[in-house]
Amino acid sequence: MTEEFEKRTHEILEESAGRLDGRTRSRLTQARHAALAQLAQPARHWWRAYVPVGAAAAVAVLAVVIWSGQPPGTAPTLVVSPVDDLELLADAEAQDFVDDGEDLEFYEWAAGEAET
Amino acid sequence: MTAFVTLAGVYSTPDFGGERSLDQDLMTTSRALDQFLSSVEKRAFKIAQLGLRNDDDALDAVQDSMMKLVQSYASRAVDEWRPLFYRILANRIRDMQRRRTVRGRIMAWLPVRDADDDEEFDPIAQAPSHDPGPAKRLELDEAIGVLETAVAELPARQQQAFLLRNFEGLDVGQTASAMGCSEGSVKTHYFRALENLRAKLGEVF
Repeated sequence: MTEEFEKRTHEILEESAGRLDGRTRSRLTQARHAALAQLAQPARHWWRAYVPVGAAAAVAVLAVVIWSGQPPGTAPTLVVSPVDDLELLADAEAQDFVDDGEDLEFYEWAAGEAET
Repeated sequence: MTAFVTLAGVYSTPDFGGERSLDQDLMTTSRALDQFLSSVEKRAFKIAQLGLRNDDDALDAVQDSMMKLVQSYASRAVDEWRPLFYRILANRIRDMQRRRTVRGRIMAWLPVRDADDDEEFDPIAQAPSHDPGPAKRLELDEAIGVLETAVAELPARQQQAFLLRNFEGLDVGQTASAMGCSEGSVKTHYFRALENLRAKLGEVF
């Protein structure tokens, strides 16, 4: 009884699959060909996907180096002349920062150091 | 056969020692895959159609499964392809069912659009299919309609077990592998599917 039922349902489903219309059969064939076409494509290396990103990063670094005019790793040099210090201290306007009578000894000492 | 037209560019390149062997391996694999896929494509489509109840979605599911099999499992033994292919297809159908559920919730808020607007005339669609004759055809039409409706209404796991065992003809082990469950579960799902179908179709069959 069960086997008969199974056999009957199997036959009907087979009949249904055999009756697929032309459009469906055509699309199944196209799908199969598209899948098989993958075999013909060369193997892809994962690192190749990162080549454009790496190139863009290298160009960006180069652009920054050229724009700044200094090679990377070179720290900017601060050159301070003692004369500049003296001028700053002797500047009349700079005196405004100093309260009257306070730290004068320090400024005198600093001026002496600069002269020597 | 047409598949090899696509591969012609590869096979026509000059042979240099090992390349010839590689090309021959590729061609053998391609031929075996072509044979395998053409042997399962119609049943796979019916299984997807019954699971998704939409022809276009079913075709997409079958195509995705074919692509995945070729891409990832072409190097496996030929007798492993069938359970692997149906495993991929089952997963794809389940994913599409879930996505459709989510989409359905979103689309419920949008105005309805007539799907026929997108239909273009396709001469291949008009091609006649195998016709067994009017009387027999009518009888079969009815039987197919009733059975497919009943199968489509089965719970998902019962439907899978029934279609893979009864329709595709996989054995219990292969069905378990395709469904990702134990052989005992397959037997249970299949038994319940038969019971359900017999209860619905007993008078017709």
